[in-house]
Amino acid sequence: MAGRSAGRGDPVRQLLRFSAAIDRMNDRIGGVIQWLTLAMVVVGSANALLRYATRFAGVSLSSNAFLDLQWYMFSLVFLLAAAWGLKYGAHVRVDVMYERLSARRRAWIDLFGTILFLIPFSVLMLYVSWPPVRNSWSIRETSPDPGGLARYPIKTVILICFALLLLQGISEAIKQIGILRGGGFAESDSVPPHDPHGPASPHGAPEAPEGG
Amino acid sequence: MSGFWGPVMFLGALALIFTGYPVAFALAGAAMLFALLGWMAGVFDPILFMAMPERTFGTMSNFTLLAVPFFIFMGTVLEKSRLAEELLETFGMLFGRFRGGLALGVIIVGALLAAATGVVGASVTAMGLISLPVMLRNDYDEDYSLGVISASGTLGQIIPPSIVLIVLGDQLGVSVGSLFAAALLPGLALTGAYAVYAVVVAWLRPDVAPAMKLEERMSTGALVRRVLRSMIPPLALIVIVLGSIFAGVATPTEAGALGAVGAMALAALNRNMGMETLRAAMRETTRLTVMVVFLLIGSTAFTLVFRGLDGDLWIEQTLSGLPGGAIGFLIVVNIFVFVLGFFIDFFEIAFIIVPLIAPAAVVLGIDLTWLGIVLAVNLQTSFLTPPFGFSLFYLRGVTPAAISTTSIYRGVLPFIVIQLVVLAVIIFMARP
Repeated sequence: MAGRSAGRGDPVRQLLRFSAAIDRMNDRIGGVIQWLTLAMVVVGSANALLRYATRFAGVSLSSNAFLDLQWYMFSLVFLLAAAWGLKYGAHVRVDVMYERLSARRRAWIDLFGTILFLIPFSVLMLYVSWPPVRNSWSIRETSPDPGGLARYPIKTVILICFALLLLQGISEAIKQIGILRGGGFAESDSVPPHDPHGPASPHGAPEAPEGG
Repeated sequence: MSGFWGPVMFLGALALIFTGYPVAFALAGAAMLFALLGWMAGVFDPILFMAMPERTFGTMSNFTLLAVPFFIFMGTVLEKSRLAEELLETFGMLFGRFRGGLALGVIIVGALLAAATGVVGASVTAMGLISLPVMLRNDYDEDYSLGVISASGTLGQIIPPSIVLIVLGDQLGVSVGSLFAAALLPGLALTGAYAVYAVVVAWLRPDVAPAMKLEERMSTGALVRRVLRSMIPPLALIVIVLGSIFAGVATPTEAGALGAVGAMALAALNRNMGMETLRAAMRETTRLTVMVVFLLIGSTAFTLVFRGLDGDLWIEQTLSGLPGGAIGFLIVVNIFVFVLGFFIDFFEIAFIIVPLIAPAAVVLGIDLTWLGIVLAVNLQTSFLTPPFGFSLFYLRGVTPAAISTTSIYRGVLPFIVIQLVVLAVIIFMARP
């Protein structure tokens, strides 16, 4: 992962170290978050069975806390794994043109996209989400249903999501600059490997190595 | 003003998408760019962006979309449990002794897998790996074999349960259960049309689809046991998932969760439910859930600004004022979706295009559930159209280099024609 650019105090090298730290963090988060999909399946089927059993029991066996838990986990999966997904090319591209380009040209497109689209959008989302999240905390917002879960923690995750995306965006931009400076980063895993037989994204996007 | 900003923003967003940067963020970028331009021109109020957190929260608590990860989880587990392999080998043996039988077997297995999983890539890949060598070894025509495999493997798009239908149901605001029910007949009709074509080919052109060679056949007793054994897992899942939805016992989301558990149980019975299967299912589910939801968030930002610039009025006026009324609308929308389908995926079409055309459809009195089916059949075609059909990419990925890509394109052509005929029948003869 280390660049060829020499010198201990080289700023590019320090930036790359910063980028590697962000990558490691999102790898770990992604690795843990994946387990929530299994938990979702378990809670989801328990909810289905409880709702069905309610018909025969005469009293409601469904639990609003469990019903909330189900979509809380769904939300955690995509909010917290979005940055991990950015690193591993989970976000679908229309690669009609992109896949024909050289690694350098791709790095240019990715660098522009990261700086002009991803980073500003993450900042915008942080900016517009801050007031409602703060409001949710101040009133300790909770589910309108009896026994439902508190809402303010899950709303806070929207902020965490875009903060992680912002960080991963910075990491990707650093790596793309590394490629453009010819620092031996052409093999970096943020650039999808070009496979002449490989399917185009989304379904056939290169399989993400295990995170964490 | 609406006649200027709408088309400009639409084309601008398409241009940004085609740079190849992840679509979700390219759409968000288009939203911010045109918000800025609109604001400078005094026609857009950036305060509209304050609606984004509430929209995001709406996506998080969306019970319909929750079905998506469940069905992906179920499909990945089944893929790893070698369900497709087992079925293909068995049906190949069963029908192989007849002329055209191998092709018929692939079509039936394609429909069964579609009803059991709803994920396309897995079926095409499995068929390309297992059935293609058998067909070629038995002197099947190469183009024809490739066409049968890509078309049958794509049936998962239209036969319920299907991720496409879940997403379309969410975007059209109709019940996914009723969309599933409405898709059953067109899905079976398409399967039937493929089967008829396979029989006709076998009858007219025995050289293209001959019977299996004698030494590859199996004894009848062993074959019957094998058919029973390999049919039970998918049938059990179809009964659990589709049965519970159609009987009104479970919502599609609940059925998806139960189906995922069922798939793990079946994989465990086949001794295929190890850590590797579990990890693959969890990773794939996370990856695709992130992809789908972020595409939705990016599209939401796009739509927000597009509406802020009155682009929705432009679309509605254009589409509802077409000559021919509802039929004119359907023809234009279908051609538009068909052409877009050459380049972009059904998720993008469902998230960007469908919310824009639905209001015009309501104005024209078109039933939205039925419109969903029309769009699903149309999008099914886009999976098969060269050069960017996804099924063709999957198949290309697993076929030997000696097989040319043009051979895949040639093979799939008759099936595209069949699909367009079925689409036309649905539009002109089955409109409620």
